[in-house]
Amino acid sequence: MKILLVEDNERVSQFVIKGLQEAGHTTDHAANGRDGMFLAASEPYDVIIMDRMLPGDIDGLTIIEVLRKAGKRTPILILSALSEVDDRIRGLRSGGDDYLTKPFAFGELLARLDALHRRSQGVNREIPLVVGDLHMDPMSRKVTRGDRPIALQPREFKLLEYLMRHAGQVVTRTMLLENVWDYHFDPQTNVVDVHISKLRQKIDAEFERPLLRTVRNAGYMVTAGD
Amino acid sequence: MMRSSAVSLALGYVILGIVALVLFAAPLWYAWQVTIQDGRSEILQADAQRLTDVYRRDGGDALKNFIDARVHMQIAGDRILMLTDSSLAPLAGNLSVWPKDLPAQPGNYRIKVDMGEHGVQNSLVHVAQLGQYLLLVGRDNKLFAPLERRFWYGLTAAIAVLSIAGLLVGLITRRALMSRVYSIRQTVSAIIHGDLKHRLPTNLSDDELNTLARTINGMLEQIEQLVHGVRNVSNSIAHDLRTPLAELRSRLEELALMRPAPETAFAEIDGAVADVDRVIRIFDALLRLAEIDAGMRRSGFVSLDLVDLATTAVEFYAPAAELKNIRLTLHADAPLKVSGDPILLAQALSNLIDNALKYAPEGGLIEVTIRRRNEALAEIAVSDNGPGIDDTEKAKVMERFYRGDASRGTPGVGLGLSLVQAVAKLHGSALVLADRQPGLRVVMQVPLAAEPPSASPAPAEDERVPAAATTAM
Repeated sequence: MKILLVEDNERVSQFVIKGLQEAGHTTDHAANGRDGMFLAASEPYDVIIMDRMLPGDIDGLTIIEVLRKAGKRTPILILSALSEVDDRIRGLRSGGDDYLTKPFAFGELLARLDALHRRSQGVNREIPLVVGDLHMDPMSRKVTRGDRPIALQPREFKLLEYLMRHAGQVVTRTMLLENVWDYHFDPQTNVVDVHISKLRQKIDAEFERPLLRTVRNAGYMVTAGD
Repeated sequence: MMRSSAVSLALGYVILGIVALVLFAAPLWYAWQVTIQDGRSEILQADAQRLTDVYRRDGGDALKNFIDARVHMQIAGDRILMLTDSSLAPLAGNLSVWPKDLPAQPGNYRIKVDMGEHGVQNSLVHVAQLGQYLLLVGRDNKLFAPLERRFWYGLTAAIAVLSIAGLLVGLITRRALMSRVYSIRQTVSAIIHGDLKHRLPTNLSDDELNTLARTINGMLEQIEQLVHGVRNVSNSIAHDLRTPLAELRSRLEELALMRPAPETAFAEIDGAVADVDRVIRIFDALLRLAEIDAGMRRSGFVSLDLVDLATTAVEFYAPAAELKNIRLTLHADAPLKVSGDPILLAQALSNLIDNALKYAPEGGLIEVTIRRRNEALAEIAVSDNGPGIDDTEKAKVMERFYRGDASRGTPGVGLGLSLVQAVAKLHGSALVLADRQPGLRVVMQVPLAAEPPSASPAPAEDERVPAAATTAM
């Protein structure tokens, strides 16, 4: 992916750029609003990471609003130290696609960038999802592994659907909370893990090859590869 | 004294009153004048008519004699009478010369007439043509003067009474106002000097000052609570954030000193990140609490289905309950629309279930009940059959960072119940901790959404488990 990072804090920038590089992405960096606006408007990026508060007279939300008005549809992840729900709503309303509060774990950032990128490629809700020998038909809501049908409860279905739509990508607990349960807060317990292990019972337990994996310090991934 | 608003207000009213009085008197005066004028003209015309009748009946000489007789009979200078020939030479009457400026045409005129020793009179005169004679009759306006004077006296007196009464009322109001303002000022200056316990004096009446004082008292109440909260939180932060920070610090320092093998070092770093995450969690929880306390989230109220929200929460915790072999059930029927903040209500309910899960014993029971309490309120109740909370601890558990003895060794930062309480407060409700013997039943209320009257009234009230019965179980 080609990523633009608009962030004024040097330490955070270095940390993000280095991490993205290791994950195989190229990153352009702008340390103020003016440069950020210029780069975002002139270069094609897959995803933009935008800090909300920037030095100078142009802040992150302004850039996003300008880009959206100009018809740029590049997915934008807003990074901000403002964590209140209203700030978050304001950020998303201005045209941002996702919102991550500082301080954040790098794994969370990376997973969200992947999800944003995937989402921008267009999601066809009708095409069956396939990971290895695991099939899911979102229309008929049927799930099979090999030739064996798997019975899932509605929420389990939603959980698996989200994981399969992001197959091969790390999905964090927070992302699952937000997208599967619409919970925008931290329930402070490992309930998501319990749901995952229940789901794992259903799709992996009786098969040789596990598809639903735990990624240490980050989250989960559904993948058929190694 | 002029700077007192009560006095300026009274002055303003007095001036307004005077203006109104004058505006009221002016047309009256005008109508009165017109009426008098008409009356006078009629009298003059009647006079002239009488003389004309004499002329018609008996001729010019008879009229001359009649006029002379009349002039002799009347009080000198009382009315003007004059008969002239066509060249305006006087023939009879009490005027020696035709008044200058008076046209020799029939009609009514208002002129100044020189009456010789009786002075100049402002007079209304009537001129009539009788054959070759000109007849002039008139009356001095002074006859009506006393009436006019009385009118002006009346008006002046009314203005004087109005002014004095107005100023008196103003002064009395000012005295009353000043004494109340003074007491308010004293209270406020006490508050400015840091004693937030003071409240403005109020009484039972519903006047403006009282209403204002009550509103201000409400504000002071809120401020005092916020300040108290901030004090509490900063004390708690000092205490509870220091612990993980101290751990983190020693961990890192040890790492720097010992320079252990990479394996151990990485494990230590992971531990340090976990410590930081714990600090961040506490911060997030505190920020969320502060946000709720500030009441800012009330703008986020929407109409939502409480049963739907509870279903999701129960479903979310069901696998965790299963693990502990706890029966987690939801008691609710028809959708129940409430007005509230969906994120905060979900978080509060999730905290309550989470708490119950921590304290309910293996194989225990947790019940989430959503019901319509009355016409205006919905009720959320979460009960468990765990150890419950002693009466002495009940107030403490809602304090920030408080962790009961039973919670030692369980994860959490001790902000759960205070968050629930803050959410309840934001929705206008208290958080009630009731005994279930054994166990705890936590109850909060949420206002029902304003619905069109066509909404079905709560059906099957009897089928629901009444609160008392649940407690007794």
